[in-house]
Amino acid sequence: MQQTASEPVPLTVAIHDDGDRMTLEGVLDIRTLAEAERSLKEWRTKRKSRVLDVGKLTDLDTPGALFLCGLRDRGVELTGVRAQHKALLDLIGGLALKPLLKLEAVPRWRQLVIQLGKGADHAWHDTLDVITFVGQAASLIGNALIHPQSLRLASISRHILETGIHALPIVGLMAIMISIVIGYQSVAQLRPFGGEDFTVNLVAVSVLREMGVLITAIMVAGRSGSAFTAEIGVMKAREEIDALEVMGIDPMQVLVAPRLIGLIIALPLLAFFADIMGLLGGAMISQSLLDISPLQYLERVQKAVDGWDLFVGLFKAPVFAFFIGVIGCMHGLRVTGSAESVGQETTRAVVKAIFLVIVLDALFSILFEQLGI
Amino acid sequence: MNAQARQHGEPILSARGIVNRFGKQVVHDKISLDIFAGEIIGIAGGSGSGKSVLLKTLIGLRRPSAGEVLLNDKKIEAIGPAEKAALIGVLFQQGALFSSLSVAQNIMFPMREHTDLPTEDQETIAAMKLALAGLSADSGIKLPSELSGGMVKRAALARALALDPRILFLDEPTSDLDPITASGIDALILQLNKSLGITVVIVTHDLTTLFTICDRIAVLVDKKITVDTLDNLMRSNQPWIHEFLHGPRAEGAKRGAITARKRSHGNG
Repeated sequence: MQQTASEPVPLTVAIHDDGDRMTLEGVLDIRTLAEAERSLKEWRTKRKSRVLDVGKLTDLDTPGALFLCGLRDRGVELTGVRAQHKALLDLIGGLALKPLLKLEAVPRWRQLVIQLGKGADHAWHDTLDVITFVGQAASLIGNALIHPQSLRLASISRHILETGIHALPIVGLMAIMISIVIGYQSVAQLRPFGGEDFTVNLVAVSVLREMGVLITAIMVAGRSGSAFTAEIGVMKAREEIDALEVMGIDPMQVLVAPRLIGLIIALPLLAFFADIMGLLGGAMISQSLLDISPLQYLERVQKAVDGWDLFVGLFKAPVFAFFIGVIGCMHGLRVTGSAESVGQETTRAVVKAIFLVIVLDALFSILFEQLGI
Repeated sequence: MNAQARQHGEPILSARGIVNRFGKQVVHDKISLDIFAGEIIGIAGGSGSGKSVLLKTLIGLRRPSAGEVLLNDKKIEAIGPAEKAALIGVLFQQGALFSSLSVAQNIMFPMREHTDLPTEDQETIAAMKLALAGLSADSGIKLPSELSGGMVKRAALARALALDPRILFLDEPTSDLDPITASGIDALILQLNKSLGITVVIVTHDLTTLFTICDRIAVLVDKKITVDTLDNLMRSNQPWIHEFLHGPRAEGAKRGAITARKRSHGNG
């Protein structure tokens, strides 16, 4: 602690000549308490005195008073208490003090078992919640398709702007980067076999079928899934969701449906954009590493891929969008009120959404393989 | 009389020529306020009159556009963080308890940062502060989200008292509380002021608080401040102050305050 001019005089402890009287003088407050405690402990082990003179204390605060009360309770006689300190001692001495409750220590192995059980229970309920919410969201969208007049177009277009158009630069950049990475790896691996020309096929097919849509979905899960959770979560915490319900408006209809529909429209478009940018990245890599001119590149791409490759990639986009939106909105509605819970739910939403996207992608790969497309 | 006599002493906190401006909008126009040790002063004013801005200026969270705040004759900007924490305690309107810490941990937090007391002592002191603020020891392990409105205020008060500050700033301590709980808080403030000799600055709309426990009242009207005892303010001709102290709500609060004062005098 830095010492400044206005810092109070440090507490001094002096022992009187007769050996059984103790005098405290100076300032006894929260800053000098530790020192006073140490000196007094020393003194009490040495001598059996029971008298403490506090008449020379110039300043006393509540922790100091608590300390003196504690001494008094243990049989030490306080003498020379000043009038202004007496009121404080009486106040603190009069409080019904009980020690703070401590949480009982649980053995490590039991904690482990408890956590395991809780985790399993949590995972089970979580799965049920996701299934329920997916069902609700699906019926919501089905309903919207049957009654298109119930759609909130202004809200949907705002979400397309935020989740789609604002994400264009970053998604495009990522797609180019990914195709450059694939291109470099392919050239390095295929060159020993003299097959580096097939780099074009590899880049085009993997970007169209997998990487374009996957990168877009992961980006959108991080960007927009988290935004859904935070937006809805803060509304929940501020009772805005309750306000909607009291007005007889279904929060699912107002908050969840526009976000879901907006994302289902925006993500396939974004994925298509990522495909184009990925192919552009492929053109760049072919030009610089293989000396294939853009025109030749286009020709090769035309031969290497067909409509199915594009379809297989883009078909997955709305499915990913649906699940990213559902997870984001579901976790937003689970927020309980504290700032902490908004953070927790957002983290969970992003992790779960990215996990689901990758699992679904794996399932799609198997499905398309079995179907032979 | 008591407050009059105090005014001759040295002020513990004094604001001089404070000007606060947001863009072109002037909130405070050269206002000065002296706060004396041991008094309870209420800061009142209509919504938007700049009560909270004044509070933030007084505790040094906001730098005024002009003027200075002196705490113990030192400029508030020049006071180090540890020393300032020992001088000033603040009860924020929403409590501002750290939501990830339990109530006891909230109270121990400033102690842990600014003193070198062992943890057991900190816990004993925290239990004492809880009792001082009128909370039982078992509320110590609760999280702020598990507390009722009145308990949040008490817990936040206990934390504001953690380092035994010389001045306690209370921002709307009785807002959002039922009248019984609010009276409990009023009584608690008065008790702390009497027994600990702590100076209290209350920013409030609550007429009962102003009438019952404040020695002096500072009223913010038209960018200026009027500081006086309640009795003198009651005779003021200023239209807003007159309306404030003589409106229908004021009459009710006054009747209640008279009985409350009688009761507290009877006890004391």
